[in-house]
Formats: sequence, structure tokens, C-alpha cells
Amino acid sequence: MPQPYSFARLTLLLGWILCCLLGAAGLAQAQSSKQPYTLRGRVQDAAGEGLPGASVRILNTVLGTASGSDGTFELSAGLSPGSYTLEVSSVGYRPQRQALTLGTETSVTVSPVSLTEDLVRLNDVVVTGTSVATSKRQLGNTIATVQAADLLTAVPTQIDQALQGKFSGVQITQNSGNPAGGISVRLRGPSTVAGSSEPLYIIDGVLVNNDSPQLLDLGGSAQNRLVDISPNDIERIEVIKGAAAAAIYGSRASNGVVQIFTKRGRDGVPQITVSSQFLVSQLRKKLDYNQYPFRFLNTNSADLTQEPVERYDYQEQIFRIAIGTDNYVSLSGGNGGTKYFASGNYFRNQGIVDNSEFNRGGGRVRVQQTLGSKASLSAGAAYTLSQSRDVPNGGISEAYGALTGFIFSNNDINPAPDPVTGRYPSTARAIARTNPLEAINRFDFRQRTSRFIGDVQLNLTPFDGFTVDYVLGYDASTQLGTGFIPVGSTAPTYTAGYARRADRTTLLTNNDLTLSYRRDFLPWLASTTTAGGTLQSLQALGTNSSSISLSPVVQISGNGNGTTVGGENRSERTISGAFVQQTIGLGNRLFLTGAVRVDEGSIYGANNRRQTYYKAGASYVVSDEGFWRESALSRILPQVKLRASYGQAGNLTAIDPYGRFTNFDPVVAGAVPGLLANTLRGNPDLGPERQEEFEAGVDLSMLNDRLGFEFSYYDKQVNDLILRRDLNFSSGFSFQFANVGQLTNRGVELLVRAVPVQAPAVRWTVTGTFTTNRNKIISIPNGLVTFPDGFGLVAAVEGQPLGTYYGTYSARNPDGSLLLTPAGLPQRERGVQTTPANGTPQRGADGQPSGALLNGVVGNPNPRYIASLINEVALLDNRLMLRVQFDTQQDFDVFNFTKRVGTRDIFGGLAGYEAELRGEVAKGSSTAAYNTFEKWVEDGSFVKLREASLSFLVKPKAMGLRDLRLSVAGRNLLVFTDYTGYDPEVNAAGQSNAVRGFDFVEVPIPRSVSVGFNATF
Amino acid sequence: MKYISAKLPVAGFALLLTLLAGCSLDLPNPNAAPEEDALNSREGLLGLSVGLRQVYSTQALEPIILTTGTTAREVKGITTFFNITELEQGGLQLSPNNANMSALFARNYRVIRTADQLIGAAPVVLADAPTRSGVLAHAYLFKAAALAGVALGFEQGPLTAADGTPAYVPRQQLLAEGIRLLDLAVQELAANPPSSEFNTTVLGTNFSLLNTVQAYRARLNLRAGNYAAALAAANLVNLTVRSEFAYSAQNPNPVFQFTILAATNFRPRENFGLPASLVEAGDGRLAFFLSGPVVRNTENGSTDNIRSLAGFFGTVSTPIPAYQPDEIRLIRAEANLRAATPDVAAALVDINAVRTQASGDLFGVHANLPAYSGPLTTEALLLEVYKQRSAELFLSGQRLEDSRRFGRPTPPASPTERNRNFYPYPQQERVNNPNTPADPTI
Repeated sequence: MPQPYSFARLTLLLGWILCCLLGAAGLAQAQSSKQPYTLRGRVQDAAGEGLPGASVRILNTVLGTASGSDGTFELSAGLSPGSYTLEVSSVGYRPQRQALTLGTETSVTVSPVSLTEDLVRLNDVVVTGTSVATSKRQLGNTIATVQAADLLTAVPTQIDQALQGKFSGVQITQNSGNPAGGISVRLRGPSTVAGSSEPLYIIDGVLVNNDSPQLLDLGGSAQNRLVDISPNDIERIEVIKGAAAAAIYGSRASNGVVQIFTKRGRDGVPQITVSSQFLVSQLRKKLDYNQYPFRFLNTNSADLTQEPVERYDYQEQIFRIAIGTDNYVSLSGGNGGTKYFASGNYFRNQGIVDNSEFNRGGGRVRVQQTLGSKASLSAGAAYTLSQSRDVPNGGISEAYGALTGFIFSNNDINPAPDPVTGRYPSTARAIARTNPLEAINRFDFRQRTSRFIGDVQLNLTPFDGFTVDYVLGYDASTQLGTGFIPVGSTAPTYTAGYARRADRTTLLTNNDLTLSYRRDFLPWLASTTTAGGTLQSLQALGTNSSSISLSPVVQISGNGNGTTVGGENRSERTISGAFVQQTIGLGNRLFLTGAVRVDEGSIYGANNRRQTYYKAGASYVVSDEGFWRESALSRILPQVKLRASYGQAGNLTAIDPYGRFTNFDPVVAGAVPGLLANTLRGNPDLGPERQEEFEAGVDLSMLNDRLGFEFSYYDKQVNDLILRRDLNFSSGFSFQFANVGQLTNRGVELLVRAVPVQAPAVRWTVTGTFTTNRNKIISIPNGLVTFPDGFGLVAAVEGQPLGTYYGTYSARNPDGSLLLTPAGLPQRERGVQTTPANGTPQRGADGQPSGALLNGVVGNPNPRYIASLINEVALLDNRLMLRVQFDTQQDFDVFNFTKRVGTRDIFGGLAGYEAELRGEVAKGSSTAAYNTFEKWVEDGSFVKLREASLSFLVKPKAMGLRDLRLSVAGRNLLVFTDYTGYDPEVNAAGQSNAVRGFDFVEVPIPRSVSVGFNATF
Repeated sequence: MKYISAKLPVAGFALLLTLLAGCSLDLPNPNAAPEEDALNSREGLLGLSVGLRQVYSTQALEPIILTTGTTAREVKGITTFFNITELEQGGLQLSPNNANMSALFARNYRVIRTADQLIGAAPVVLADAPTRSGVLAHAYLFKAAALAGVALGFEQGPLTAADGTPAYVPRQQLLAEGIRLLDLAVQELAANPPSSEFNTTVLGTNFSLLNTVQAYRARLNLRAGNYAAALAAANLVNLTVRSEFAYSAQNPNPVFQFTILAATNFRPRENFGLPASLVEAGDGRLAFFLSGPVVRNTENGSTDNIRSLAGFFGTVSTPIPAYQPDEIRLIRAEANLRAATPDVAAALVDINAVRTQASGDLFGVHANLPAYSGPLTTEALLLEVYKQRSAELFLSGQRLEDSRRFGRPTPPASPTERNRNFYPYPQQERVNNPNTPADPTI
């Protein structure tokens, strides 16, 4: 086993290099004679308006700051007298360099720096995928950026809202309308079947935890840990969609990378920002409920006797108008080489399901200290306490949820508690389900997460062109869930009470050391060499305890309260890796990049542990060629960049840390302890999934830079796809993970930015994104893998996209009409199943279906395309901003399990059952349709008015106020869809990778409106 | 400032060293035992022996009792989950990927795999004969029970749970192999009585290995039609010794889990699901096994009177007998009746012992009926044995086999007492093992 030690040696070596460099930096500083300069200046846009948030750096030093809200900056710099270059950059503008000579005068006023707008954002400086700040013009792949200014008017309260619709190639789904509802992010489609397709999230260099542990069974939905991050602190988000750029992140980056940068302090007088929002949310659409005032006495299809009943709309009592507040304060400033930023936030929001609530409070501190001009140290710490009160809904495995109770109820039963005993009546006659009002009023499910994210970063510039960056990232969180169902409830299985407590402590650390050397060897030949190493560790420790048959009132699990079962789980993964990347720039027009990364992870066996990933990219700014600039082309297309890249990445998430072993689990026979092999057979030869991606594209601007396009085509292929393949039961096992499949994602992405009107008083910008992705899985053993969190009705089928709905379908006549039973009821197709996706229907002598029930692909949850359109109008010198964002997803299916249940006779709470009561269809029709799954798959295509916001900036001369921005924002105000359920976007299976679009009474996404202000002092 | 920067390299280096310490790439699983330990150590084999009994008594016994009990009409599937609906409707409605039916096959082979591993490893790892004989006999017993479990529902099955694609043999051979293993178990136990270590760490209390081996020898020989051998084995069972499977909240009684709880999938039929002619009103076993009011249930396409379950399934930790003494009496009675020269008198003694028992049953199952008064023909007495077995051995996983053995009405013409003879082979088996035989028609 030499591998661990070789990496240990590597890291030791890196450590030594770091030490030497630190020493050198200190030495260099000691030798020079420094002067305490203070640089003052202003960054402005083409119109002369102050440009806030622009980065101001002195090249070849670690010194830098950012401009304030009025565009001014102040930079304290301990430097030797001499000539320097100042670089000013801002997202969406061309960076500007300015020569600077420092002499005897220590107070230096820099002449105003004007930045010109760059619609295609070709010159944006990005860090993700390159480790060191690099202009996008050099990159062979796309990187998308969103900055704080883009979030100012719509005031998102959760990260997903900050991301939604802003990028092409990104599908963001809010899986639940709960106030802490989880989100799923897919960059260029799913890239694994067995694991998670969520991207790697990096916050200020810390590889953070975005797990979605289900500590409590809330019916399928779960929080994901991004919920702990307050969007108020975000300065900038960079998204890398493909493997090409992600190659340097290695084994964790096959799903892409989302890097979040938080706000930092800047030199100058302290600045205080206060903002506050008030939110109101409500159910956007109610389901039509059964209002027919009679019910059948029985389910005998020949007996049509009915009795009068009173019908209730349970939704009236389940949903409410919910309110919330988001308050934020930050303080930033700096001088003499020290910069600081501190913020505090408190967000509280009610859920639209009565009694559900989420709150998040936290603080963030960052201190940056320059140690001379060649070294700087930055330390950040963020603490968050997230708390939720959850009402269980959905019903993937447990069935005690409120909305679950609602959909299984016969709505002719008054759900109100008995006035004498206070007991809630059972509202479902056919099946044991919870009275929804009891779930809301008596159940008590809560989650609390205490989380600390910290980082220490050391940046050195020992000599010209050479930088050393070291980041230590630390993300420690403890999530605690408690659940309580009191004695004497209507909850199935837990009528005698249920208490649960589960907690999970995670610790993620990452150490990254990056060395980079840039040099212009010749005027036309520039080189950047980057090398780095990383050590990462991920640990999770979980315990849980559940009790049933409780003593009255007592809420805890254990300690004599009921019959208690406890459990524990521990997992640990370690990853080490190193990479080298070389970029060559030719004439500042053609850039070639190559990189190699070697990775080792503890998840796979010694033979497959070490993986090598390569990448290559080319970028050609053709518009900078002399022939172009001199020709008429430059007036039509002033900026044109062609790019192409290839990259490889791996996936460590497909199996759990011990998934390659045949594990012998502890069991008890009576009271005697023993061991038993799991039904999952080990596979010592399992290796990571490997992804290869090719992308090519063009970035161009037209019409005097008023219209910009970013177009990409990508072809992503995952080989050695890990599938949990079925084994023949006669092996004594049921499943085994194996590298057997292959998955592809192919698609195009288009981003358009336009400024149709640009006048001093009016500015109208339009941003549109369009994404289409084709996902396909092949080489599935026996052609089919089904997923239990979709009731086995969601599958990976050979040659089809991931997550297709798979089940029985209607028997039909040759002309396509339904083939009815002799009793006149619809029925399922039968015949011979030739492949998992195909069957040959068969007819008996009586013309009726015969043979085995046939299954087939009955729907696809992956949209044919997704698109967004954002219109932003700024009036009155940018003081009045109007922003409207439409999102759409087209041609995808939703499995409407909610309707399936609510329409069936024995439950019958939805309007769909009325036809049977009215006698318009034969009695028993709904039962006949119940297990014909094709009938419950619906087109979910929608257009949503995702955001509409209006903000007004006033500059009052009072109370030290500099800026005051007042805003009104609405989310999900309007939805245009033919989908008959609550909302086509939710998913009862939460953040499940494969099960998407599964609508089984998950809380719908609310319509919400917020009003608020943001003031800076 | 200089002071700080001089300290930085040292601090940075110390930090790196600290982090390196926790960075091994060979991480053992703290949540489970690895195969090397489970199969190559004494503790591992003793633990795995416990696991073997656990997987049989919970995982395998659930479909043995409930899946075949639904097919043989002892219980009714009352929920609308499609696997339950299919199983309850039986016949052609039962698809090859039905989970409850697949469990009968899969879980028994899981037992067989575990037993095979123990049978292979015990002679190598366990040097002392008394512990080895216990581990081996225990493994033989459960492999035999699991083979019989497969034969209960399927016409054919593999003899071992092997890697690759095992070949199938007819169910008669599965039973014959089970009998051979039980004979081996008897030999092992006779040669070396199990050590007290084995008895304490594997068997625990209230499980009699030797008596269970003999009882299952009698049971399997009876099913295989070896009536003399069945009688001989039955006579070797000590009817005063209690042998049962123990349960707890950690390993719940599998029938309790699916029949008693509020959202249960199954409920027992009134009168044990028997035709009225086979039930006597005063039978004490009705009150023993069934409780609660008679409820009319119209779910899943038929109207039935269902009740609530009691008996051996009333709580999460109620033990289920490994065999009942009255099963042994009824095996003796049947073997005597089916012998080449039937011994009606001996059979009648055992039948009446079961019928008239009013107290003293090891498990409290008392028919408390008058002595048999019907005709003393072999045919009539065999029907009486079936009737007694159906009541006394209610939900013990025997009704489907009995229904076939006693020539009860056959589906599809008459699905009243069973709605399938044998099950189709599980889809997952068929697609992964080309040796899977054709499905039976019904």
C-alpha cells in the first residue's frame, strides 16, 4: 500500500515549499524600505456614474480593495517607492490597467478609472476551474457568473432563488414548497444513476457540505444544507458546468462546480448596510375537491345506492397565508492593511402549511491582513443556526403526513376534533391515514442545524508573477431532528405514539495548496503554470433513537418512554490529489491550456483508487486579430471568441464509503447478537465513474456591443457508470454495484444579453437563456433499474433518459381507443414482455388481453428544453429598477400520484371522482384506472413568472444614510400550465437523483411577495 | 508584523502535519464486519450462526407464512398496494415481479447462502468438535428449512445459493436434499453434543436444536411422501420441549409487522379461511388465533369476512413456535393413515389427542373439542387430519402445501381454498439466470 504514503510525502514536500516561500516573503519584506501609502480614487462607468463593487488591485502584490457604493475606493499600501500597475475590474466590464508611480507623497490620488461595459463578459475575471484569477478570454470552456448587483432588486431569501434562471445549462428545481424545502441543481443533466448529481459547492475556498440527510421521515422531502447560507452575504457566484474546467477539482467535480464568494471588507471609512424584508406567501392554486353531495354505500359495482353527505374542503384548513421576515446587517471597512467584514442575519419564514416554519440566524466575519506587500492572510468564520418546524407531508415511505392524510381522506368526514374528547376522527375510511389537521396541530417535528464554516487563506507573491495560495477549509455541522406523534392519534402504525430523535454531525476539511507562475516570455508569448495539491476529509457520524407505544405527553425517545430502537452510522472518506496546469497565451489572442490531475479516494479498492484525469482547452479571440480589427467585421462583430475544451472528471458519490464491501451487519435473534451478510454483494473491483466531456462554443457581441451571445455545444459521456445491478436471487444476494453502464448528456446552451435601449435616463437590458439536454443511459444490465423511492415506478431503462416513469399502461384497440372489459371498464395491457421497455400485446379467444401484465416507459421527467427571459429596465439614472423574469420548462412529464389517489372511489376527495358519482362513467372506473400508471402521467410544461420586482433608490441626506433602496418583489406570481396538480415543479422524493417530477402530495411552491429596504450608512 | 510572519511558516507546517495524520485511504467500515472476519474467525462463525437463525425466523418466515398464507386464503391482502392486490387476486393476476412472491424465493436463498458459508467454513475454522457440530447441525437445519420454503412455492429451485447461474432441480430433490442435511445434522449432534459455548452464544433460550431437527425431518419426510421416515422422526421428538423463534423490537415478529399494526397489509379470514364444512363452532383455536369483531371487507375484488390476528403474532416480541407438539401428533396420525398398511387406531389416538386437548399445550393451543365421531375410514380420517392441521397449524406456512397434498380444490376452476398451485419464478431471477425454468400455468 504505498499510495497513502506517497501522497503524504507529496504533501510534506508542498509543506516545505510553503515554508520556504513564507520565509522568502518575510525576508523580502524585511529587506525593503516600505512607505505607508494611501491611494484614493474612483471607479466609474462610461456615463461617469460611480461603479460599486469593482475590484482594485496592485499587480504583483497581494494588495487590493473594492470600490464603495459611490464608486470611490481607498487602498492602504505599504510599498517601496517605484512604478506599479493598478488593475480595476468588475463583472460585466472590461478590466482596466493604469500605471502608478509612488514617490515621496504618501497620500496618492489616482485619476478616475472608467470601465466600459462588456456584454459578452469576455473579460470577466474568474477563479473557478483555474485556481488563480484568470480572464475568461483565456478559457476554453464556459464559466457563468452572477454577482450581488444582479440579486439586489429581487432579494432572494434562499440560494436557489439567487441561481434560478440566471444561467444557461442549469436546471434548478425547488423540490418542496416548505420554507426550508430542498433544491436540486443539475448542470448539463444528471451524471450518475446510483449517486447524486448535485454539483460541488465551494464557499470562499471551502468545499462545503450539501447533503440532504433525512433524519426524520417527512414523507420524502428533506432540507439540503445549502439552506444554511444567507444570500445576503453573496458577492459573486461562479458556475462551471462541465468536466472540462472541473478537471482540476478531480473526483468530486463530475457534476460541475458552484463557487460562492462572500462579501469582503475594503479600505476606507466603515460602511454599515442594513436590510429588511417582509414576505407574504400563499398557496398559488388549490386542487378542485369533490363537492358532490352524495356517496356510494359500497364498492359493489352493481349497487348504485347513494346516501347524502356533506363535503369538506380540507385544503382551507391545511394551508394559510404565511409571513416572514429577513433582516440583515453588515459592517465593513479597513485601513492600514487590515480589512474586515462582519454581518449578521436573521431570516424567519412561515410555511404555507399551517404550523410549519423555518428560521435561520447567523453571522459571518472575515478579516484580511496584509503582511507587507508580499503576503496576506485572510480568515473567515461563519456560524449559522437553522431551525425548522416541519409538518410531514408526502408519503414515499411513511404515511403519517398531513397532505398524505388529506389525499387519502373521504372528504365527507368532518375533520374537526370531537368537541367532547378532543380526539381527531379518522378521515380515511378505506385505509389508515392521519387526519391532516391532527398532523398539523398535534405532531411536532423539528430540525435544528448548528453549523460553522471557517477558512484560513494565505496568499503570497514572493516575486513577480509567482503566487502561492493555501486554503484550509473547515465545515462542521450538527443537524438534529426530533419528531413526536402523541398517544391516541390517527397516525397509521403510530396510534400508540411515536418519538424520534436523530442527529448527524459532519466534518469536512480541505487543504489546498496552489502555486502559480505567470510570465510573458516574449511580447507575444505568455505562460501561466499552476500546480497544486489537496487533502480532503469528509466524516459523518449519525445516531438515532425511535420509540413507539409512548407514555402520554412525554416527547423524548428512550429513557423508559415506550419501546425504543436506537441506531448509529459512521462514515468517512478521504481524498488526496495533485494537479499541474499549463496555459500558453499567444499574442493575447490564442490561449492553449492543458492539465493533468491525479486523485486517490478511500471509497474504492486499492486497484482502482488512483485515477488520472486530463484536460485540454483552447480559446481564440479572433476579433483581436489584426485582419479582423481592420476589416468591416469589427464593426459588426466587435468581439468574437471561439473556444473548445475536453476534460475528464470522476465521481465519488455513486456509492457510500463502504459500498464496495460485502458487509456483515449486526443482527439480533431474540436477545442473541449475531452477524448477517447484507443483500448487497460487495465488489472489490469497483472503480469510480469516469466522465469525459467535449464542449465547443462561441462568444460574440454585435451591434456595437449592445447584443451578446454565448453559445455552447457539449457532449458528455460517463463511462464505467456504476449501477446497482440486480443479481439472481439464487446467488443469495439481491444486488451488487458494478461499473457496467454508460450515460451520455448532449446539449446546447445559449445565453443572450441585449441592451435594446441605453440612454442616460433609461436603460433596458434583456437576458435570455436556453438549454436543451438529451440524457441517455445504455448498457444497463437486463435493460432496467428501478428506484424504490419512486415506488419502483421510476426507472433507468436501456436507451432512455434517467428517471423515466415505468409501469403498466392501457389496453387499446388497433385504432387507439381503449379496449374495455366486458363490464365496460378500462383495463391494463397484457401480453409478452420482450424487453423492459417493450411488450407484445396479446388477445385471448374472447378478444380480451391475455398473458402477463405489460410494463413500459410511460413518461419522461426530463424537459426537452428550459429557458428563461429576464427583462430589466432602469429609469431615473438607475434609481428605479424594474425586473421581470420568466422561466419555462417544456415537454416533460410529471407523475401525478396525488390525482391517482384522490380520484379513486375508496378515497375520492378530488373532483375527478365526481363523474363516477354522477353516473357519467361506470361505477368502478376509477378502481380500474388506479393501477394503469400511464393514466397518471401528465405533461408538466410550464411558463412561470418567476420574479417580478421593483426597486427604487433614494439618496436621503439624513441620519448618515448614503443609499436607501426600497423594493417590492414577487416570486412565482403566475404560472401558465396545463398540469392539473398543484405545481409541476415539486418532487415528493426530495433531492433524489433518479426520481424526479414525482408529485405525491408534496407541498407546492408558494406564490410570495416581499417588500423591504436596503440602506447603507 | 515581522514577528508574526516569522512564526507563520512554523504554524503552517504544524498544521499540515496535523492534517496528514488523519488521512489514510484504507478506511475500515465501523458499521459492519468485513467478510474476512465474519468467515475466518470463531466469533464470526458463531455470530453468523445467530444471523442465520435470525434471517430465517424473520426474513424467510414472513413470506413462508404470509405469501403462501394469502394464496391459501388463510389471510386476505387488504391494502391497495399493487403487490398486495396481485397476491390477493392470485391466478393470472400475479406477475413475476411481485415483491411478496419474490421474497419467498429470494429470502430462502439468502438463508441458504448463509448456511452454505457456515457449512464450508466451520470444519476449517472451528477446531473443537462440540462447537463445530453445533454450528454445522444448526446450518443444516436452516438450509433444510429454507429448501423446503422454496419447495413450498416453486416447482423447481437450485440446491445451493451459488455464484454464477445455478442449475435448477425439481422440488422433490429440494426436499430430498433437505432431508439429507437433516440426517447429517442428527449424526453431528449424536457424535458430538454441542458445547455450552454454542448453546449460550448461538441458541439462547427456548430453542431446542435436536428436537427441531427431528421435527423438521418429520415435516420434510411427510411432504416428500416418506411416511415411514416421517413417523420414525416424529417419534424421536420430545413433545414436552419447547422450541421457538424469539423476537424483539430489534427483530420484530414478522407476521405481527404485517397483520396487526394499523396500516397492515393482511388480515386473517374468519374461520381460518376454511369452507364452513371444515370448521367446528366450538373450536378453541378460533379464539386463540382470531380476535376482534367480524368485519366485511370488499377490497381487492372479493367480499370477505375478516378478523384481527392474535395467536403467535399479537406483539412485536411474541415468539413463533419452531414447531408445535400437535404438528408432530398430526404428522404421526397422517403417516399412520398413509402407511402401506394404515394404522387407523394409532391415527385416531393422535387425532383425538389434538381434538380434545383442553389444557397443557406447550403453546396454549387448545381445541377443546369432543373426540372424533365420524366414519373411521382412511379417507375421512385424512380429511380430519387436514381439518386439524388447518386449525392447529394456522399461519405456520403449511396450508398451501397441505392444500396440495390433501387434494383440495384446485384453481383456476375453484380458487376458494388456494388461488395458485405454484408461483411463477421471480422476474429478477429469470433475467439474471438463464437456467430459470418455464413458469407454471397456475
